[in-house]
Amino acid sequence: MSVCRAWSLTLLGIDALPVEVEVDVSSGLPGFSIVGLPDTAVQEARERVRVAISNSGFKFPTKKVIVNLAPANLRKEGPAFDLPIALAVLAASGVVPATSLERAGIVGELSLDGGLRGVRGTLSMAEAARHRGMQRLVLPEVNAPEAASINGVEVYGIGDLRQAVEFLKGDRAVSRTLPSGDGIHARPPETREDFADVAGQRLAKRALEVAAAGGHNVLLSGPPGSGKTMLARRLPGILPALTVDESIEVTKVYSAAGQVDGGLVKVRPFRAPHHTISTSGLAGGGSNPRPGEVSLAHHGVLFLDEFPEFSRQTLEVLRQPLEDGQVTISRVAGTLSYPARVTLVCSMNPCPCGYAGDNRRACRCSASQIERYQGRISGPLLDRLDLFVDVPRLTRDELRGEEPAETSEAIRERVAAARGAQLGRQGEPNASLAGRPLRETCRLGGDAEALFSQAIDRMGLSGRGHDRVLRVARTVADLAGSGDIGLEHVAEALNYRRFSLVDG
Amino acid sequence: MDSARSAYLFLSLLQARTGSSLISRLGDLPPEEVPRMSAEQLSRAVKMTDRAMGIFDKLRREFDPDRVEKELSEAGVGLLTPVDAGYPERLIGMVDLPPALFVRGSLPGGPAVALVGSRKASVTGLGSARRLGRALAERGACVVSGLALGIDAAAHEGALAGGGTTVGVLGCGIDVVYPRSNRGLFSRVEGSGSIISEYYLGEAPLAWRFPARNRVIAGLSETLVVVEAPEKSGALITARHALEAGRDVWAVPGPLGVAECRGSNRLLADGAGVVWDLDAFLDEVLPEAAGPYPGPQGGGANAALPEGLPENEARVLAALGFEATPVDVVAGNSGLEVRELLSAVSMLELKGYVGRDAAGTLVRKPVD
Repeated sequence: MSVCRAWSLTLLGIDALPVEVEVDVSSGLPGFSIVGLPDTAVQEARERVRVAISNSGFKFPTKKVIVNLAPANLRKEGPAFDLPIALAVLAASGVVPATSLERAGIVGELSLDGGLRGVRGTLSMAEAARHRGMQRLVLPEVNAPEAASINGVEVYGIGDLRQAVEFLKGDRAVSRTLPSGDGIHARPPETREDFADVAGQRLAKRALEVAAAGGHNVLLSGPPGSGKTMLARRLPGILPALTVDESIEVTKVYSAAGQVDGGLVKVRPFRAPHHTISTSGLAGGGSNPRPGEVSLAHHGVLFLDEFPEFSRQTLEVLRQPLEDGQVTISRVAGTLSYPARVTLVCSMNPCPCGYAGDNRRACRCSASQIERYQGRISGPLLDRLDLFVDVPRLTRDELRGEEPAETSEAIRERVAAARGAQLGRQGEPNASLAGRPLRETCRLGGDAEALFSQAIDRMGLSGRGHDRVLRVARTVADLAGSGDIGLEHVAEALNYRRFSLVDG
Repeated sequence: MDSARSAYLFLSLLQARTGSSLISRLGDLPPEEVPRMSAEQLSRAVKMTDRAMGIFDKLRREFDPDRVEKELSEAGVGLLTPVDAGYPERLIGMVDLPPALFVRGSLPGGPAVALVGSRKASVTGLGSARRLGRALAERGACVVSGLALGIDAAAHEGALAGGGTTVGVLGCGIDVVYPRSNRGLFSRVEGSGSIISEYYLGEAPLAWRFPARNRVIAGLSETLVVVEAPEKSGALITARHALEAGRDVWAVPGPLGVAECRGSNRLLADGAGVVWDLDAFLDEVLPEAAGPYPGPQGGGANAALPEGLPENEARVLAALGFEATPVDVVAGNSGLEVRELLSAVSMLELKGYVGRDAAGTLVRKPVD
């Protein structure tokens, strides 16, 4: 028998699909070709495999070698097929028993001396391997801890090709990599960024607490140096701890981006892309698709500093993920999607020079300049923001006499309770409420209703502003552990409306 | 309609079409005579261009005072001519007085102060205009301005916030809202005073009509304050009209090297009154209304609290000054939790005791 098979896996989006590697060695003019829609990196596997096999002390067959990657209609990318091709070739020439390749998933990039390099997406591959009933997964040592996070498939980390051959022949024992003990059920590790370190800014802190509890998106506006970034960085620390499923999802995204260093991601991500970022940098994509910043912030915080400086086109791509919680990318080769459920925090200066409204430094912008600057943000995107917060620059004098601020942990406990109440009531965070569910969940009592209609008249709230206040009032009530939205909850929610800008 | 009134109306419509003042050139000729004359007769009395004579002929054929009156009353617009009792007395002495004023709302009596300045004013300038407008309104003066963007809008806003009266003079037809973004302000100004214009229903905001409208702003008020104006601006034209009509002209000093303030600073160099202190200015301009003005200079945390407020609201108000105060300072002074504080602030805002500006600071509003 001259056809030998090995099984490998490839990434599509953040999910993995099995790929069958068939090798045929027949007599004829010596040659080595790969078919089955391989990209350049896969084509180059020929040279790496040939040299790595020789340098590991084996003989590359001087015959006609054909490798087929099935299914043939799926485009194969990246160097992860090096190891399965090499092992299948060795099986075809009788070095490795063909039976040892059964029910095993194999991935890994070969170096010329036969050593193994890490590949991306191994967590998703492990998940797919388990799903497809594969018994074990053979992959580079560096990827082993990541893949081992999935229970139900044996993971073996291998150092080089020679070791892999000996392991498959049964000549050498390789210990199975086990999931690391520190689960994510424990509370998130202590981060250095704690709300206790931020003096003052009580309004902004409270607003971020409300944002965390209800999943609301926030716009922070204030002069340079007022602490907008500092505040935003601390938001992940008060979000509820990641659940196991969430953690696996986040890790899959990072794995697909090749950014995992061992084990699961246990802390909610915080991503702060620069405002020069490209559309595909933010949303994901490229000819060799990778998740973008909005997906890397999945289940965490996406922070857009200097919000009006982002190009309008770039920001427009955020509309779909903010609506559906995922990004869909269409390429000639096919369509794939990445998850992208984020809490969006934007920050901006109130005007081009940054000092409008600052009491210590005069603003030098004209009214029309300010209007234009603030008008740069598109309406549909503004609709997705629930909380508008002004962050003033505080003087030392104004901060004096502050008692120590609350720790992030104390805030997180309140947030977790409020979030739990929302999921129990409507199965989604308050920020997702709209239309009929919004009206049903956010019924106002007599007093609150009277106050609200008075506010609509006196403060000139628009239709959108109206819904926003209701959603936020619901979250405020949840934070207070109250089933009904009371007068004081509506009153507090009115503080987070939009001021200087065009609509209320 | 009596003949004098209809003659003034005729003159007004004629001026609005020719774009030049006729009334200032009539000399001894009584205005009643004008509609009865032929174009040639009129041209002998006051020199007229051929174009103006053509317009005159056409208007004389079309002119129907009763229809105009009917259209105006349907639109809810009043008509005042110099022979009417309600016509502002301050305008009577002017050489180039408006032959007719179309009025929405009711013209307030009492002292009137005009506030004018740049459309592209800095935030500081807008703040000054708002404060002046408000302080004047609180002392019972009517604030006159042009309902344009920038300083004009801020002056009207200030007067409205101070609960006073305000008059907006338009450079377009009485029913035309220009600029569109001020439409909310238009209706509030009409509600708390009046909007007036020399121009009939539907007339467009042509460029030459704004300098002409500025003479009405100057004429309607005893005092003119220029808040922030570049050189070659409409506000300086208003100042020139005010000086010609014998009004007091004041200006708010602006920083050096800022183009938007060069015109107003120039007025100061030429001897205009310096608005360096709000109280000093008010005492000078409105001596009969002198009294303690509870503005940013005075008052503060010890000013008397209104009776009957819930405890939290009273604590917030006591912790709040009349100058812009960040929420953190109020929280520190009142000793309240932020969420209690925020609820209380909204309640106070709705009751009119507290205002907030775009930078997120809180201000206590004086309530009488």
